Amino acid sequence: MTSRRRWTIRISGALAALGLAALGWLALAVAPPDAVQGDAQRLMYVHVPAAWLAYLSYAVTAGASAFYLFPKTRSLRWDSLAGASAEVGVIFTSLTIVEGSIWARPVWGVWWTWDARLVTTAVLLFLYLGYLALRRVPGSADGRARRSAVVALLAFADVPIVHLSVIWWRTLHQQPTVLNPDLNPQIHGIMLTTLLVGVLAFTALYVHLVLRRYELAQLEHRRDELVLQFALLPTPEVAPRSTVGSTVDSMAGTR
Amino acid sequence: MRIAHLRWWIVVGVCAAAIAWLLSVALTSNIQYFRTASEAVADRSQDGDHTFRLAGAVVPGTVHPVAGGVDFDVTDGKATVLVHHQGDPPELFKPGAPVVVEGHWQSTWFASDRILIKHGAEYAPPKVSTKPAKATVTKAAHNTVGTGTG
Repeated sequence: MTSRRRWTIRISGALAALGLAALGWLALAVAPPDAVQGDAQRLMYVHVPAAWLAYLSYAVTAGASAFYLFPKTRSLRWDSLAGASAEVGVIFTSLTIVEGSIWARPVWGVWWTWDARLVTTAVLLFLYLGYLALRRVPGSADGRARRSAVVALLAFADVPIVHLSVIWWRTLHQQPTVLNPDLNPQIHGIMLTTLLVGVLAFTALYVHLVLRRYELAQLEHRRDELVLQFALLPTPEVAPRSTVGSTVDSMAGTR
Repeated sequence: MRIAHLRWWIVVGVCAAAIAWLLSVALTSNIQYFRTASEAVADRSQDGDHTFRLAGAVVPGTVHPVAGGVDFDVTDGKATVLVHHQGDPPELFKPGAPVVVEGHWQSTWFASDRILIKHGAEYAPPKVSTKPAKATVTKAAHNTVGTGTG
């Protein structure tokens, strides 16, 4: 691992921890309850950042997939980044749906309803779960990467559909507060500040998780290469177990 | 190797089936989540006892608890519909609240068995003022129901 990446992982981790602590304090103690929804509205401070980070995750997956498909930048590292970002995106999407459901029950009166925003978000989750499963279907590294990259670019089409669903169709879900078409947020100052702290904290968490998952993918590649090398050796005697063990140990020591 | 192939293709297939199921349910119900009170009134003769969702603001002064439910008027500012609701209204139900009621026409009133609260995208702390809160809530309700008609 390069030392710059190691430092990015450490700093993003520290920022995420600090940011989430600040978010907890602002969301639960500083921000006032909403005039209409009361304390249930505080779920917004984690629901909205999770949704935005899901969008960002899939945008990074789509971008990395495009870099992989473009011949001049083709590298399996882009494929690793696409996979890492999609895994984190699935976590944020699931979080968005669960938090939304918990928010909906006291406010709307139901856990779930068939409105366009909810359906397109659930579709988004299954698109990327399917994408992650497809990445694991065995095959040549390049074949898998190419197939996954094409699917990632197609799946990304659902992200703008999710975001615009509340404008294109009538929904029970409210329209965007901050990223609304007029760019005129109707939200009290400290509430908006808390929301932005939430977005920053979740972004730091995203960077941290993606980089760690990316590092893990690099280690997985090296493990697979080593396993292949030893499998290709003519006889087991040439590669005694102790050699394999010490190689793996020294590899683990490189972290 | 063959089993490993199959296992992940099955997961891909399950995800594809889930997407197909979600879209089929969404497309066979109404893609537009609700109709406004004036649209519902205009379509009343064709609708029969077809179930749909009606959106409007609860008209202050019209909420009357009855045996097993509640009666109230909803309005979109142009048309007003009398709703007979069976069951307990949700916690945030109150005069002026923007609601979506699920049910069907019964002669000239709307028989509802579910009330959903449609809140807006505006957030603010409770107002500490001597003015009655009713007027602002009703205005917010009209805005909420009026938007998203695309």
